[in-house]
Amino acid sequence: MKTILKLAALSLALSLGALPAKAGAVLDRVKAAGDLKVATDANWAPQSFVNANNELDGFDVDVAKDIGKRIGVKVEFVTPGWDIITAGNWVGRWDMHVGSMTPTKKRAEIFDFPAVYYYTPAAVAVHKDSKATSLGDLDGKVIGATTTSTFEAYAKKDLTLDAAGAPAFEYKLNPKEVHSYENSTTAFDDLRLGDGVRVDAVVSSLPSINDAIKAGYPIKQVGDPVFYEPLAIAIERGDPEFSARIADAVKAMKEDGTLSTLSKKWYGVDYSVTK
Amino acid sequence: MLYPDTVESEVLVHKPWFVAAMFGAIFLIFLAFNLTGTGFGELMRPIIGEPADSGLYGRFAIALTIALLFSLNVVLIGFASLRVQIGIVWLELLLLFLAFFATFHLSLPFIWQKLPFLISQGVVTTLYVSAISIVIASLIAILGAVAKLSTNGFAYAIASFYTSFFRGLPLLMQVYLIYLGLPQLGFVVGAVPAGILALSLCYGAYMTEIFRSGIQSIDRGQWEASRSMGFGFSLTMRRIILPQALPVIIPPTGNQFISMLKDSSLVSVIGVWELMFLARTLGQKTFQHMEMLISASLIYWMMSICLELIQSRIERHYGRSKIR
Repeated sequence: MKTILKLAALSLALSLGALPAKAGAVLDRVKAAGDLKVATDANWAPQSFVNANNELDGFDVDVAKDIGKRIGVKVEFVTPGWDIITAGNWVGRWDMHVGSMTPTKKRAEIFDFPAVYYYTPAAVAVHKDSKATSLGDLDGKVIGATTTSTFEAYAKKDLTLDAAGAPAFEYKLNPKEVHSYENSTTAFDDLRLGDGVRVDAVVSSLPSINDAIKAGYPIKQVGDPVFYEPLAIAIERGDPEFSARIADAVKAMKEDGTLSTLSKKWYGVDYSVTK
Repeated sequence: MLYPDTVESEVLVHKPWFVAAMFGAIFLIFLAFNLTGTGFGELMRPIIGEPADSGLYGRFAIALTIALLFSLNVVLIGFASLRVQIGIVWLELLLLFLAFFATFHLSLPFIWQKLPFLISQGVVTTLYVSAISIVIASLIAILGAVAKLSTNGFAYAIASFYTSFFRGLPLLMQVYLIYLGLPQLGFVVGAVPAGILALSLCYGAYMTEIFRSGIQSIDRGQWEASRSMGFGFSLTMRRIILPQALPVIIPPTGNQFISMLKDSSLVSVIGVWELMFLARTLGQKTFQHMEMLISASLIYWMMSICLELIQSRIERHYGRSKIR
């Protein structure tokens, strides 16, 4: 029985190609295959989402395509869950992650961050009936945030932004409880049920809060942005050549204005520079 | 009735005590809820006046009306023939569900626009993932059942370890373990094969137990008689035991297939674009995910109904001996 299982696993694995070599080989593999496999989230508008033509679209998707163009390869997207991407150990399933990842020291143990490509203001949203007028009014309340995100880390006072160029910030929230969500949409869905019905406030990125408001969610931003999050491209550790190639591509995109154009296209604001 | 017979008895829903009890229960339940603020209150406006001001009288009138309508409905359906009864009750429950969905104010044009992609990408992926898993799980189950029934210590130990392990772990965890864990052993599996492997192994374990219990439900005498006639193991199984065990095995196996069809949604966590993944993704940008979730639910339901129909067909085939 067990040998049968092992044989089944083995044959499945063999049919999927051999194990990729590590250490400096990612760039060679990408160039040889002529296609760059990019992991991104499919549920994170306007960074990456499925558009009206049922194709992936968004700021992150455009940035990834542009990087591919500059390296001279085709870009192919895969959409594993966020926790699977951040678990590391990609074993060649995808080469690069363009999904607004915040570089932190902990993550740098698993990943290389070749380039920070934009900064997002993180803000706090409350139901529009909420009496809170400042962040201090949310002391002792229930705060929601996407699980394992920097927003959750901020709410739990456990956020480290140690990337170069990250602006300083201070903790302004003293929640009673931090409620974790699968993604920001489910958090907003709970918030829309009413002030304090399931959560009192949600920490999320300002762009996604604004998008939810535009879509008619009865929520509003309270206070100023709580921190500016640097967001970087992530690759697995161990290929400095690949890393340098991506860094060059992003630098060129910053210099020729491609990044600001894309940012204005998707956010209406230039997020490629800090305020 | 287990079998339709000719013993005559009065229809339950026409017995006065039953009708009275049902009427009283419905009346009390609806009296407990204040429905004056709902659409029902609006309907009753000619009788109770302004619904918001009607107070206890309004509640009483609404509860009475609902109880009357409900009891009348049940008593009337009681006069119909069995097939008509089943049809009417299905239709009424369906209408109630549709009325429930209608209260969400969904955007139908959006659903129509996304439906082709939901089917061409989502349903197709869901179907082939589940179909392959069903085939593999059935094969594992047959092997597992034979192993669990054998007197070979190794076969029994391995099979019982397997069923215990894969029935004891949440399927979601198995998906993660196979997708993230197998690469540690050197096997890099893609998302779809990992999902199929997890589904097959998990459901193979459940079905092993179903097959084993089905085979064991056949009387010992059948086995002994067959063996004493000189039939070997394989011949006894194929000609004597399995034909009798199949009618017992089929209903729970149908359950497993339906359940697997829906559990295939768990592979969405590793990024497979099947029905559940698309349901969560397509409406996300425009915040119309309720539309997609409900459409996907209805599609899942329709696929399950197909499986139910197939199952009842097969059951009828094996139930021929019971028809007089």
